[in-house]
Amino acid sequence: MTQPVTAEESTADRSHGAGPRGRAWRRRLMRDELGVSLVLVLLVAAAGIAHPAFVHKDNLLSIAQNSSYVGLMAVGMVFALAMREVDLSVGGTYTLCLVVGAVLIRDGTDPWLSLLVTLPLAALLGAFNGLVTTVLEIPSFIVTLGTAMLYRGMALALADGRQISNLPAGNSFFTVLGGTVLSVPTSVWVLLVALIVFTVVLTRTRFGAQVRAIGSNPEAARFSGLPITRTRIKALALTGLMSGVAGALALAFFIAGDPTVGQGYELTAIAACIIGGTSLAGGRGSVPGAVFGSLILSVVAAALVFFQVPINWTTFATGAVILLAVALDSALRRSRGVGLKQGAAAVVSRLFRRSA
Amino acid sequence: MPAEHVGPPPVPPHPPRTVLAATAVGKRYDGIPVLAEAGITLRAGEVHALVGENGAGKSTLVKILSGVVRPDTGRVLLDGREVAFATSRQASAAGVALVSQELAIFGDLSVAENLFPHGLPRRAGLTSNAEAERRARPVLDELGLRLRLDTRAGDLDLADRQLLEICRALLTEPRVLILDEPTSALPKEAVDRLAAVLLRTRGRGIAVLYISHYLEEVLRFSQRVTVLRDGRVTLGGAEIATVDLAALVTAMLGEEHAAPEPRAAPAPAPASGPAREPGAAAVVLDSVTVPGRLDRVSLTARRREVVGLAGLQGAGHLTVLEVTGGRARPASGSVRLPGGVAPRSLRQATGHGVAFVPSDRKRYGLMLDRPVWENITSVSWLGLHRGGLLLHRRALVDRAARSARSLRVDGGVHRRTGELSGGNQQKVVFAKWLDTDPSVMLLDDPTRGVDIRARAEMHAVIRALADEGREGRAVLVASTDLSELVELCDRVLVLQRGRIVDELSGERLTQQALSVSMNAGFAG
Ligand SMILES: Nc1ncnc2c1ncn2[C@@H]1O[C@H](COP(=O)(O)OP(=O)(O)OP(=O)(O)O)[C@@H](O)[C@H]1O
Ligand SMILES: [Mg+2]
Repeated sequence: MTQPVTAEESTADRSHGAGPRGRAWRRRLMRDELGVSLVLVLLVAAAGIAHPAFVHKDNLLSIAQNSSYVGLMAVGMVFALAMREVDLSVGGTYTLCLVVGAVLIRDGTDPWLSLLVTLPLAALLGAFNGLVTTVLEIPSFIVTLGTAMLYRGMALALADGRQISNLPAGNSFFTVLGGTVLSVPTSVWVLLVALIVFTVVLTRTRFGAQVRAIGSNPEAARFSGLPITRTRIKALALTGLMSGVAGALALAFFIAGDPTVGQGYELTAIAACIIGGTSLAGGRGSVPGAVFGSLILSVVAAALVFFQVPINWTTFATGAVILLAVALDSALRRSRGVGLKQGAAAVVSRLFRRSA
Repeated sequence: MPAEHVGPPPVPPHPPRTVLAATAVGKRYDGIPVLAEAGITLRAGEVHALVGENGAGKSTLVKILSGVVRPDTGRVLLDGREVAFATSRQASAAGVALVSQELAIFGDLSVAENLFPHGLPRRAGLTSNAEAERRARPVLDELGLRLRLDTRAGDLDLADRQLLEICRALLTEPRVLILDEPTSALPKEAVDRLAAVLLRTRGRGIAVLYISHYLEEVLRFSQRVTVLRDGRVTLGGAEIATVDLAALVTAMLGEEHAAPEPRAAPAPAPASGPAREPGAAAVVLDSVTVPGRLDRVSLTARRREVVGLAGLQGAGHLTVLEVTGGRARPASGSVRLPGGVAPRSLRQATGHGVAFVPSDRKRYGLMLDRPVWENITSVSWLGLHRGGLLLHRRALVDRAARSARSLRVDGGVHRRTGELSGGNQQKVVFAKWLDTDPSVMLLDDPTRGVDIRARAEMHAVIRALADEGREGRAVLVASTDLSELVELCDRVLVLQRGRIVDELSGERLTQQALSVSMNAGFAG
């Protein structure tokens, strides 16, 4: 390091210093995830007041379990979105891994060993997305639009269009991964671990910082000598891997490989990320937010059943919730630095300004 | 060629009339006052200059005048009536046009669509390119922009994009034209053309307000000048005949800085200083050809040497930086960095100790949504992989804070970079490359938008970078500001049409000589 001349190394000048770091960190966490966590709590509380059975432990755990597959995909998707990429093939990857696992197990492979095939396969499928995006210089949106069908098509062909069942349900693979640990579904534990690990990866490691820097300004990143190709491939491989993990857990839970599941999961995962405050414009992403987002979607789906909303209205209601959550979050974000009360006031005023 | 001398201003047809005024304007950001009791009046048919140090509040004031930002206190008066523009479109409908410091070009749209952002002109109900051409061409010609209207705006260089924005403002036929640092990225010949255009608009009774850090230019082009210091007016609308350079500097920096202090103004013409022995060759170009841009260029830049590159727009001087920094590849010939490696990509060149400071900071330089410290450490940590896999926030922040302090970046390193004033953003771009401890520095307008004091300090840093260290470093610098080349460089290579046509150093290195050499063969 060279800092020649003019450097007045005055230790007195604290205005450039680090400041109250710990507090700033906590404040930022609060600010970034405040909106979604608030929405989640309010939703659960509202449903609980109307139907006390809704907040029963078993129901809540089953909601968490239902959200965990999309939740894992959303965790991976945060990395793609934060670097201005998008992966529309996560649903296809999920299904392909599910079916490949099922076929291997049916044909006599040890279920645990099948993970050695499905998980690397998932990462490879993701890396392939990254590679094609780089080599052809085509947006990942378009590339993964294609590979999504490619992967799903492989799953359909492999399973011959039928569900693969007759799997050894007694195997520990199915009882452990598809069961519960300490009376919490295993997939929820996995989601929790992923939440912690990938929050750290995104916010506290060089790879995470590279992802966010590239998403913030790709041209400046290129000028700064950042390894763009490598980071893109790694990020998309990670997104693929998380879909594979979700696929393996789903296989263990359902004890069947159905090539038609997972339709539209990619959009649900993207919605979860957006609800959680990840920006489609890149540069910003929140792993906890994505998990909260998928929980919100899952709560809404469950509540609609509790409230006996006609099944044909559930899609409509889900859309409404997405819009509301995003509106609340962006209003809170705008009023950052101010207290909760002003934040709520800002939300209200924003909601009504248009109609005024 | 427009004349150097702007000539006596034609007498305005009416006695000076105030068109736009701001009075007692106050503005705070995050509780910190940026403007306090600031005011300015613009008269029909005048060119009014606004000057002040980086962060003085100039851009904020003109944003308030044009409705981009709301003041906390104070009023804006158009023709004596208070106005509060809700959008800049309203302002432009009322005849107030702003060309802001950070350009707002739609890169994926054509030049024509950028010139008419609210819709191309129509003929028989349909948008018509011919009509756009008919309306825009005279304005483009006036400013010397020779472009097809269907060119993609994102492909233009910074100077052309700046001119494009000025054209866009002129096409709204404003009564008040506000230009925030329009000349910081313009080559000299374009500045002269702009001056001529401003003179003509004056004749039509338009009020022009423009911001600049080039004080000689201010004295030459404007009729009145307002100076801001720390958000307060220290010289309000003074007739230009009543002020000189020293008075302007005093108003900008305060009494205590009036006398040129040695540190702020290093001895000019370093080339004539104690004989410096250039070190080993660091950058060697051998017969480098880039089709249409460079034609068999050979040059050597040694360590402990600051080599300038000059030329008219498109002469190839910037391409020399690009092939050296790995941004462009030569079709034939060779480029060698220290250690004999050839630059293959920006990333690979960075890895071999090259720092490339681009002039277009918004596009190539900065992550505006991230804090200053992340920008400053981005190359060394994220590009060069120095500093481990895990984030050592404290170490990075401290390091960034040190370099921010040495370049006097305003405010702390935790501020969002987009909140910084233009000049301070430029210092951040420079700081992030200093942080890599490069062995070769490629600088394209390194002090764009930086105020006179900080500019002198950055020059001292660049000089020291070249000279200090075990072996010293090679610096290649291009600048639209010829005085910068004269002050900074040991020698300057002049390019024309992709070839080196002249080399100036020592006594021969003057602005006059540079200008002559760059234009030689083009005149007449
Ligand atoms: N959006 C913003 N949020 C917070 N602070 C801001 C914002 N915009 C400007 N500032 C601050 O206001 C002060 C004045 O900024 P301004 O851009 O007006 O300076 P300037 O005189 O134009 O400087 P320069 O010559 O560098 O362009 C600076 O300290 C800047 O950091
Ligand atoms: Mg400014």
